[in-house]
Amino acid sequence: MSETIVKLKTEIERLLNEDVIDVVIAFKQEDSPLRPQPAFFRNVAELEVLEYNSLCQNNLANYLTRFPQDTRIGIVVRGCESRSVNALIVEKQHQRENLYLIGIPCHGIVDIKKIFKKTGEEVTDYSENQDEVTVIVNGKEITFSRKELLHDSCLRCIHPNPVDADILLGDPLPEGDPNIARQEVESIEAMSRDERYAWFRHEAERCIRCYACREACPMCYCTECFVDHTAPRWTESDVSQAGMQAWHIIRAFHQTGRCTSCGACERACPMDIKLTYLTEKLNKDMRELYEFEAGLDSETQPPFASFNLDDKKRFIV
Amino acid sequence: METKLKIVLFQCQWCLYSEPDQQWVDHDLPPSIHLVKLPCTGRINPLFILNAIQGGADGIMISGCLPEKCHYKEGNLSALRQHEEFINLLDYIGYERDRIRFVWLDLQDRGRIQRELANFETSITELGKANNLATRVNAPSGGQYV
Repeated sequence: MSETIVKLKTEIERLLNEDVIDVVIAFKQEDSPLRPQPAFFRNVAELEVLEYNSLCQNNLANYLTRFPQDTRIGIVVRGCESRSVNALIVEKQHQRENLYLIGIPCHGIVDIKKIFKKTGEEVTDYSENQDEVTVIVNGKEITFSRKELLHDSCLRCIHPNPVDADILLGDPLPEGDPNIARQEVESIEAMSRDERYAWFRHEAERCIRCYACREACPMCYCTECFVDHTAPRWTESDVSQAGMQAWHIIRAFHQTGRCTSCGACERACPMDIKLTYLTEKLNKDMRELYEFEAGLDSETQPPFASFNLDDKKRFIV
Repeated sequence: METKLKIVLFQCQWCLYSEPDQQWVDHDLPPSIHLVKLPCTGRINPLFILNAIQGGADGIMISGCLPEKCHYKEGNLSALRQHEEFINLLDYIGYERDRIRFVWLDLQDRGRIQRELANFETSITELGKANNLATRVNAPSGGQYV
């Protein structure tokens, strides 16, 4: 994968030297080899610490809304990130002509929690190739197959290739299978009503209301969230049952037709709550009812922002 | 002591323009039915529905105008998409779908709202008290929400 970094570095150097863009959003190395962090590069000298591997957990499209619309931004995008960028352009959060998308076909994000579960937290080094992941724990080298460490939402990924990228580093990958993406939702739908509620309650009651899921999500860019309102107070903001359930329901519902299934919310959750089973259900419904997937192009409005007179067939009078 | 189940009626202010029915809704609703009057069904945020559920409602009825007869031309069309999907989501997490019902009314439907409410009350009574989804502690009993 170091080959990708070299290509990435050359491309970013070119963009900065030719003054095509003002800032590049990418990842940089950190003290721990397992946690590359998002970084903003404004000149070539900073590029020493540029990093790209499967441990890059964040969705970089999240930072797009924090810049003024006329900032020329170069952004490193994988499949899901490019769709998030598109969804943000549809909502007029940035202008396409001020963006330069550096696309990288994604082999999936390695879930750091899955590594810790297998090895403990004493990991000192990490390397990877297309099929295998090698970590060094207490001086010992342990190799895993890549597939068993991939994050759940990456196992379900349908579009690993960036859409509408200005440049693609690496060869396009085969598309994923939509049937696998549906499996988890269908297995929950098959449960009885009380089982489904028990499952939901079990997920919701572990929440500590840290809102890391909200901060990690590129589509959650409201300056004031409904849970922070005090007048009117929409939901209880303590960790009561009702408050937590309302947060989980409405957080997911606000993503209807906008979620790109990147799974950044789930990776950010410190309590290991499965958050994507709600948004995946909504995505599945959007696909079935309106044949819509968020972010596949930068023009189609999401279903809730538009309507069609054909809908009236579904009015039960 | 057995108490009657609570029903919240979200009503669009235009759908019952025929006077006797609107008079009845405004002044003579049974005490178990709480009225929330809105300019249009498109004004209903899913949060309103969730608030009603968490405030202790056992059934929710939404009455609005027929498609293409909306006072604001297309409010009910965009409302339908959102509400339908919100009910799908609530059903997915274990809330009974039948506790939320839509009635699309026409100006000519005199006396229909009473029939529909009576029908709905019967079916809610069959379902019993709602217990999937937690209710707020110390939920205020009226509609006031500050």
